[in-house]
Amino acid sequence: MPIPAGYRDTLLAPHTHRRVEATWTFTAPCDGTALVLPDGRCDIILRDHMDGACSRRNSHRDVPKPVVTPVLTGPATRAYAITYRAGDRWRGLRLRPGRGAFIWGDTLAHRRDQVLRGDAAGHALPALGDVLAAHDPLAALAEWAHSAPAPADPGTPNLGATLDRLHASGGRLAVADLAQHVGCTPRHLARVFQQRVGIGPKTYGQIVQFHRALRLIRRQGLGLGAASAEAGYADQSHMTRAFRRFGGFAPSRMPLDLALPTLVSA
Amino acid sequence: MKLGYIIIYVADVPATLAFYEAAFGARIRFVHDSQLYGELDTGSTVLAFAGNEAAEMADLAIRPNDPATPAAGWEVCFVTDDVAAAFDRALAQGCTAVTRPEAKPWGQTVSYVRDMNGCLVEIASPVAGAPGDG
Repeated sequence: MPIPAGYRDTLLAPHTHRRVEATWTFTAPCDGTALVLPDGRCDIILRDHMDGACSRRNSHRDVPKPVVTPVLTGPATRAYAITYRAGDRWRGLRLRPGRGAFIWGDTLAHRRDQVLRGDAAGHALPALGDVLAAHDPLAALAEWAHSAPAPADPGTPNLGATLDRLHASGGRLAVADLAQHVGCTPRHLARVFQQRVGIGPKTYGQIVQFHRALRLIRRQGLGLGAASAEAGYADQSHMTRAFRRFGGFAPSRMPLDLALPTLVSA
Repeated sequence: MKLGYIIIYVADVPATLAFYEAAFGARIRFVHDSQLYGELDTGSTVLAFAGNEAAEMADLAIRPNDPATPAAGWEVCFVTDDVAAAFDRALAQGCTAVTRPEAKPWGQTVSYVRDMNGCLVEIASPVAGAPGDG
């Protein structure tokens, strides 16, 4: 796809932010539910919701104060549903894959699909105390992410390049192919993924493949057969299995509340 | 409809443009601010490069080019009257040799190199009477 010379946009290469992939906010316009799909990333989320006591205001000058709950997520491989009330707000920081150890240290490999809230999150990541006390917690969070000391590197081949290749291929490059490119064994690459991303390269690739199939159907309007072939599934039933595994639904029955939070690039 | 662009997906667009400038004497026409797309001044059919991640952003999937594996099944061909000099220049700038300049029975001189990304590039003399001649 050529880009015209005069076109200016905030088209940011993912490379421009090495640690943080995006900061995002989502404010619920009304009560509802949403299905959050797994992306293999770790997020730090600040959830603002109205105190349940707001109906018992004893003075007309009292404005209900939002309660801020910090949420930490491990690398996600399962969809989960959230329920919200109008006005609830999430502000989040999505770490690039391979950066999850900033939150979880060397326990990352055991944090798959874990979600810690409130005190448990503060206990796991003490830096959250200062973040919550800051005037602009999201900015403080981004500041922390950029300045936090990098976790010890277990002597990895170029993980960033491997993730880029896997993403460019729509999750379709084999682990052996990825490993050969960076000059290590598939087994070593799998270990590096477990330590740094928190999930194995095969599962990570399957998540990338699932998201692309989803976009081909939802955004590009491809039929299920065409989408499954282009996404690289052996047949449509393989695609159905992947959708059930990562999304909890069949491709022919996509939930209507499949809205991901609005992403605002950092 | 006419062929407008040939776009090669690469890991590093600015580095690849600079490489093509040095190795093949092509001029850079423009680089997008995002560094994810850039064009060479190659006449009516533009040779351009896009970042590998631009593929994902456009819902495409590609097999990234890789110098360590066999080249993808297509090539770019530069035409010059002095194939030997162009071939030597390409090697001096970091291309790897595949086949040295060789005179073909039909009168053309042909050589092949691989570029910094492992893409196959042919350097050949014009075919007499062909559109690219002269």
